[in-house]
Amino acid sequence: MKFRISKEAFLEGLQKVQHVVSSRTTLPILSNVLLVAKDGRLQFTTTDLDVGITGSVEAQIEKEGATTLPAKRLVSIVRELPASEVEVTVDAKNHAQIRSGPSFFKIIGLSETEFPPLPDFEGARVFKIPQQVLRDGLRKTSYAISTDETRYVLNGIFTSFRDGKMTLVATDGRRLAMVDADLEFPASHETDVIIPTKAVQELQRLLGDAGEVVVKLSDNQISFTVGDSLLASKLIEGNYPNYRQVIPGDSNERVVISREALLETVRRVSLLSSDKSNSVKLVFSENHIEITANSPDVGEAQESMDVAYTGRPMQIAFNPEFLQAPLRALDAEDVYLDLIDEMSPGVLRIEGSFLYVLMPMRVTN
Amino acid sequence: MEKEDVAVDAIVSENTDCSESDRGWNQVCEALRGMVGADAFQRWFRLATWMGEEDGIAAVAVPGEIHQVWIETNYLPELTNAVTSVFEDVREVSVVLTEVAGLPGLEGSPQSAARSRKAEAVVLEGDALDKRAKAAGLNPANTFDSFVVGGNSQFAHAACLAVAKKSGVGYNPLFIHGGPGLGKTHLMQAIGQEILRSQPGARVIYLTCEKFTNEFIDAIRRGDIEKFRRRYRSTDVMLIDDVQFLGGKERSQEEFFHTFNTLLDGRNQVVLTCDRPACEIKSLEPRLISRFECGLTVEMQPPQMETRLAILKKKAFDWKVRVDSSVLSFLAEKIRTNVRRLEGALMRVATYSSLAGESVTVDKVEHLLRDLIREEASRQVSIDAIQKAVADHFDVRLADMTSRRRPASIAFPRQIAMYLSRSLTKGSLMEIGEAFGGRDHGTVIHACKKVTEMIEGEAGLKETLERIESQLRR
Repeated sequence: MKFRISKEAFLEGLQKVQHVVSSRTTLPILSNVLLVAKDGRLQFTTTDLDVGITGSVEAQIEKEGATTLPAKRLVSIVRELPASEVEVTVDAKNHAQIRSGPSFFKIIGLSETEFPPLPDFEGARVFKIPQQVLRDGLRKTSYAISTDETRYVLNGIFTSFRDGKMTLVATDGRRLAMVDADLEFPASHETDVIIPTKAVQELQRLLGDAGEVVVKLSDNQISFTVGDSLLASKLIEGNYPNYRQVIPGDSNERVVISREALLETVRRVSLLSSDKSNSVKLVFSENHIEITANSPDVGEAQESMDVAYTGRPMQIAFNPEFLQAPLRALDAEDVYLDLIDEMSPGVLRIEGSFLYVLMPMRVTN
Repeated sequence: MEKEDVAVDAIVSENTDCSESDRGWNQVCEALRGMVGADAFQRWFRLATWMGEEDGIAAVAVPGEIHQVWIETNYLPELTNAVTSVFEDVREVSVVLTEVAGLPGLEGSPQSAARSRKAEAVVLEGDALDKRAKAAGLNPANTFDSFVVGGNSQFAHAACLAVAKKSGVGYNPLFIHGGPGLGKTHLMQAIGQEILRSQPGARVIYLTCEKFTNEFIDAIRRGDIEKFRRRYRSTDVMLIDDVQFLGGKERSQEEFFHTFNTLLDGRNQVVLTCDRPACEIKSLEPRLISRFECGLTVEMQPPQMETRLAILKKKAFDWKVRVDSSVLSFLAEKIRTNVRRLEGALMRVATYSSLAGESVTVDKVEHLLRDLIREEASRQVSIDAIQKAVADHFDVRLADMTSRRRPASIAFPRQIAMYLSRSLTKGSLMEIGEAFGGRDHGTVIHACKKVTEMIEGEAGLKETLERIESQLRR
């Protein structure tokens, strides 16, 4: 096969798919990217057998064909090429010659017939979701996914299509984030799945602001199509725990806080929290919150915020990172913090659909 | 009984015949409520039940996985505190799911009455065996039904079946030995499951020798060796895997010896597995060796071609994968040494074909498994290869290996090569002599004897031999 392509387009196409390639793999073919030159486009595909991704860019195809080349090496070569035009020729032995301006590279690939094809989604259930809705939903929940591999069902986002709604949930046992959005789909499509972390990360790279993403669901696989890019992934098998048990009932106190101000204050104060006492304390009094951190061997920090608070005086401590994560992911002006008492979880909400349950730290005075 | 609050009430009403441990649990609940707050208690602990305590580890059962996750990540320190304040022996608390909470293992301990009543109510009939097997440390998949019998394992299989039917009477102890991945553990666990199935009351314990040693050391450290002895000397069937690890551990050997004697005297069945015959276990006391050998010893051989193929077919059927019979034959032919590896290879092929969505060909499999196949092939060492390696090592000409010349500088390497040929290949004395320039078999015997003697006497020779051997295996 033979094609010419601009360096930028080549790099863009590669970068879209390169994160799936794992550096430690038992099958050498999996560290390669599949290149298919056809119909004026160059298509890129990578897979680690759990997650596979494919996308394409425009190219000037002089001779159609396909091959696989080592992905990481190809990316580093293309990134360093001196000229803006690249010409690639691949012979029958899968030896690729890359010419750009004065430089010449020859790299050895493997036959495209060895490359495992992406799974087939014939007869799958199809959902159409606005890209922005899914992207927002993932951004507002993905940080709460558990990384503890002993509870593998929590290593992903629980996605439920029920009652005309799509609900996304992630939890690691200390906090839980949930978003739901109205979505039209036939009642026969109702189902729950768990999308693994790696697929969530790739999907977030793929999704844009406008247009729809087409989601296909088979028994144990899911795929997402955005334009001519396709992401396919295995689903996590198993039952997601009944997360609704975590969500507290009626709160006693509610306070409205500017999201950005709270985020910045917590960030500043947390500079004085340490590994040993990794917490910030929120002390509520009338129209006032005092946020403090204190590490016995390091020092202490405090900052006060004026808020509209009329409840009883109370204090509660949180892990600063867990408190900041949702604040960073949200874009609302104000957040609501609902509290019961210092031992019960706090709940963060916004105007619109979002809920974040956060377990308090033990306050020791 | 006070009925002052709703939460405790729920538990109390379940156990109207309140035993001592239930009363203790109510105290735990009271303490816990104070520590975590009424709201959290109501939400997470209201439906929790006390499963009892063994060896300092207490079990608390909760109805859902979310309860388990949340309690373990957020409330474990409080729960442990509350439990230890009431039950002084407890060092650790584990949170289990009600539906999995086990019957056995805990059986026979003083407070079992209340517990087994609760547990029986929640254990499903059909899964009961699996659960009991798991609690005994057995893998429910390892049954006689799932074992493929071939010429290599026929005797072992028959012996195990006999033991399972009539434990403690005939072959006691049963000593199974053979290389890794040949099914020793499978057969041994099958005995355990069969006994559990036919005699549900039997106390079966399966453990690896390493675990035995570790628990023994733990018991010494904690000073409750009595408890350890009670536990292991009162079992009906004791299955111990990999006893070669006892080698060199003197105190464990002694404890093991006494445990072993107690069990045999009480006509309780003991089954042992080992990767070599008992007499070859390094630094094992002679009295233990003779104990191991006093029952029935069976050996597991690597499976022949037909058996390997039968195993693959059965596995493919069990896993519901469709693999071409030519591919199965190819796998069976190439992978000879180890059943576990055989299954691994099939798994790899099956995974690949399910992902690739196409049927795999022999060529593709050869490529897919090239690391395994290369490794398998290299296990067969030839006399030619040995001669070459030895000649290289001692820097003599290859031709000298077969020549008539016999200065010491040549004769010695030649003897080494003969010795290695004898120990690494299956060649007979005649064949080896023939390969070394048509020498007599007596020459080969002499060479082997001489090298064996020299290994004892001459420092460094052993290392040299090992180095050449490892080169050959590469």
